[in-house]
Amino acid sequence: MPQATNDELLARWKNEPAPLLPLLHAFHQRDGYLSEDALRAIAKGLRIPIADLFGTVTFYHHFSRDEAGLDRPRVCTGPVCSMRGAEVLVASLRAAGHDPQPMPCPGRCDQPVPVIHGGTVLTGRTASTLVSGPSPLPPAPPGGIEECVFAGIRNPGRAGLAGYRNDGGYEALTRAVTGMTPGEVIDVIDASGLAGRGGAGFPTGRKWRAVADAPGGPKTIVSNADEGEPGCFKDRLLMDHDPHGMIEGMALAAYATGAVRGFIYLRYEYPETVDILEGAIAEAEAAGLLGDGILGTDFAFDLRVRRGAGAYICGEETSLLNSLEGKHPFPRNRPPFPVTHGYENLPTVVNNVETLASAPPILVHGAEWYRGLGRGDHAGTKVISLSGDIARPGNYEVPIGLPLAELLHDWAGGPPSGRTIQAVTMAGLSGGFLAGADLDVTLDEPSIRSKGSFLGAGGIMVFDDSRDMIRVTRESMEFFAEESCGKCFPCRIGTQRLVERLEGDGPDTVEAWVDEVTDLNQVMMKTSACGLGQAAPLLTESLIRYFPERVREHVAGPGGSHGPAMKG
Amino acid sequence: MMKRNGTPATNGARLTMTLDGEKVAFTRGETVYEVAERHRKEIPTLCYDPRLEPFGGCRLCVVELEGARNPVASCTTEAQPGMVVRTRSAALEVQRRILMEMVASENRDTDVDPMHGYASQEMADLLDRYDARSGRFEGAHSGTSRPDDDNPFIKRDYENCISCYRCVRVCAEQEGDYAISVMNRGFDTQITTEFGGLLKDSACTFCGQCIQTCPTGALGDLKALANREVPGETETTRTICPYCGVGCSVDVMTRGEKIVGVLPAMDGPANEGSLCVKGQFAFDFVHHPDRLSTPFVRDDDSGKLRPASWDEALDRAAGKLRKVVKEHGRRSVYGIASGRAPHEAAYMMQRFIRAGLGTNHIDNCSRA
Repeated sequence: MPQATNDELLARWKNEPAPLLPLLHAFHQRDGYLSEDALRAIAKGLRIPIADLFGTVTFYHHFSRDEAGLDRPRVCTGPVCSMRGAEVLVASLRAAGHDPQPMPCPGRCDQPVPVIHGGTVLTGRTASTLVSGPSPLPPAPPGGIEECVFAGIRNPGRAGLAGYRNDGGYEALTRAVTGMTPGEVIDVIDASGLAGRGGAGFPTGRKWRAVADAPGGPKTIVSNADEGEPGCFKDRLLMDHDPHGMIEGMALAAYATGAVRGFIYLRYEYPETVDILEGAIAEAEAAGLLGDGILGTDFAFDLRVRRGAGAYICGEETSLLNSLEGKHPFPRNRPPFPVTHGYENLPTVVNNVETLASAPPILVHGAEWYRGLGRGDHAGTKVISLSGDIARPGNYEVPIGLPLAELLHDWAGGPPSGRTIQAVTMAGLSGGFLAGADLDVTLDEPSIRSKGSFLGAGGIMVFDDSRDMIRVTRESMEFFAEESCGKCFPCRIGTQRLVERLEGDGPDTVEAWVDEVTDLNQVMMKTSACGLGQAAPLLTESLIRYFPERVREHVAGPGGSHGPAMKG
Repeated sequence: MMKRNGTPATNGARLTMTLDGEKVAFTRGETVYEVAERHRKEIPTLCYDPRLEPFGGCRLCVVELEGARNPVASCTTEAQPGMVVRTRSAALEVQRRILMEMVASENRDTDVDPMHGYASQEMADLLDRYDARSGRFEGAHSGTSRPDDDNPFIKRDYENCISCYRCVRVCAEQEGDYAISVMNRGFDTQITTEFGGLLKDSACTFCGQCIQTCPTGALGDLKALANREVPGETETTRTICPYCGVGCSVDVMTRGEKIVGVLPAMDGPANEGSLCVKGQFAFDFVHHPDRLSTPFVRDDDSGKLRPASWDEALDRAAGKLRKVVKEHGRRSVYGIASGRAPHEAAYMMQRFIRAGLGTNHIDNCSRA
């Protein structure tokens, strides 16, 4: 097949909604990198100033501006993969004649170490043992504890429309569009207590109602599938094995809010998921479950997949919207919020994949059923992505309010034998560490927030007592420094300064070091413009709180680069 | 676009909020920062330029808002009825000082010659105000300077850049050139042209807007900086740029008898601080050694120009003009004044052509 010309690619995408990202991917795929000629053609075709387009392309980690850049293997060097020998894999790839590049966490912490090569994700420990494979299914919960989003995910054929329908899929949408008003749908979601599962925890029913009530349109539903938080890999599992669950949730959100168009903003690092989602959308359209005249009614919902290009901040909803619109992906100032000023400044629901996938079962089984899945007063479930020093890493859908210790030891088999758990992260990396007596939390926001952390998107990395917490903190902070967007001063400068201090630079007395780091922590938490800069210092704050002796050694001792080496 | 110094609405219901304990009125659409500015709260900023959309990057303008978990950026927060805002508190002042210490730590220099540009002292002034020259948070410097960009107007010294993006925003929002943008992320952020090239190969029109809004001197006015060794105090004189018909206000900087630079007048009614390459940079001719310093007349015999006295030159011109008018009529004369001449000379010229020679055939090369 002859290669498509610039004009053909432009003609293909120019009049599509949100055309910039797919157009960049089309050129990137065709040429193996984004050439000056390609960018000039796109700038002209979409009428974007060329300097703006150039700057925006450099924002994304995975768009290569070097010839053959797309062919370079990219290797995860995140905290978990670093413990599992990422450096060995990099060396082994280099020895095999490749030019491996480090990349931030691509969401495979359950199968370290991942490598993205072309359009495939491979995992393994050496160049010769790299394999590709489907996302691992979640381990079954102990004692038959009832699940919501995972209830049918292990059933064979679940990813296809027939398998999904066999499990009662699209029953919720059918009930809604043929027998319920949009307001009634929102009432059920509201009563269920479902809240944003991407980490922010905003009540889903309230968000949907705000969009339903907002003037103006067309309205939009966006599935935030830019699962970029290190240690989080739940949305990949949900989309790979149960794509219709999320898609049905999006259609329900559209019906409830009056939205007519939707986007799945999928992170770059899940290339196999693109095909799965596009296949599922095509199946649903052919079956009259998406597109015009859904289920024989006049309800219409047009759904597209848009692929990111490697930028953690695009998981922040306003940054995501800018990215979707083809703008520089800085977060927007809020208010106004996306519910009134979202995609193209029109009312928009932005929900996490897990949140959307929770909606259909809630509508079928009822709000009371969902509330009852939680422990005690807590409503519903949360998927936890568990990785690191733990016998059975993977995704677990737990009742909200489950004791953390029960998950770690009873569900997931505890730390490697002979080891104890030194610390865990919360919210991937964003919640910082919990350690010592604080490991007795229950998995719900009030309990975890009382320890100065938060549950967030539900990523938990486990570090046993053999791990150097300074190194773990440094590698984690390097992630935030790499991903800081550069818009606000406290985050842009603060993440850099914290990395330097964790590398051994900075003041050479413990008091001055702690003083500087504490000031950076405080200013970042208080004045950063978005969640990235507000959350990143929880790492250093909790490090100082739980591991003061280790900090002392780091600053004064041979672990740091200061002064004469001191023992002990 | 938001404008500073709005006045409270007088029609309709009066909107009020509480500012540092005082009930104050505001207009719908005003930001908390704009309201506070009207009340002379002197909230510090580095990424703010009243002509641009509020950005919310430097976070120095954060204020305490009752009911909000964290301080909010006053520049991006719209005033709402009943809001209770504190613009100063011990905690805010500490946060601002730390932010200033952080900003100072990323630059090569904290102090630059004021000849760099209109806003070039903003960071240094705030470092003084917050006593933030402590040397804390020492670490890597951000930004890569471009000494290779040999354009004659704009110094690109990004090692002193604090990533406020005022240059990028003024280029897009005020000038409409979109010549520069932001590349990379986080601490690696860099101001760039398309493909990282030179300004002359970009969409830049060398209007100099970026220089004049830069709060650190990372961008500098090379024409003015070339005169930084000229002795004497800098005086400024408000005038109107003569180059075209827009009528941009400028403040001409002089030392003694020498023009050393041009500053845009931010309060100029026609330009609000905007200038073009000519108004901003094209003043060399005033003191140029090639400039004529005596009249010349054409020698009748040789046909060559030779220096002459004013009397001789004026007599010659008057005689010839009179002759032409007498032989061919007043409409045979056409006067064109130079855009490089002062306005007063242009005025005299048109009076002379109209009243003196009796024709309306008068124009100016600046009639854009």
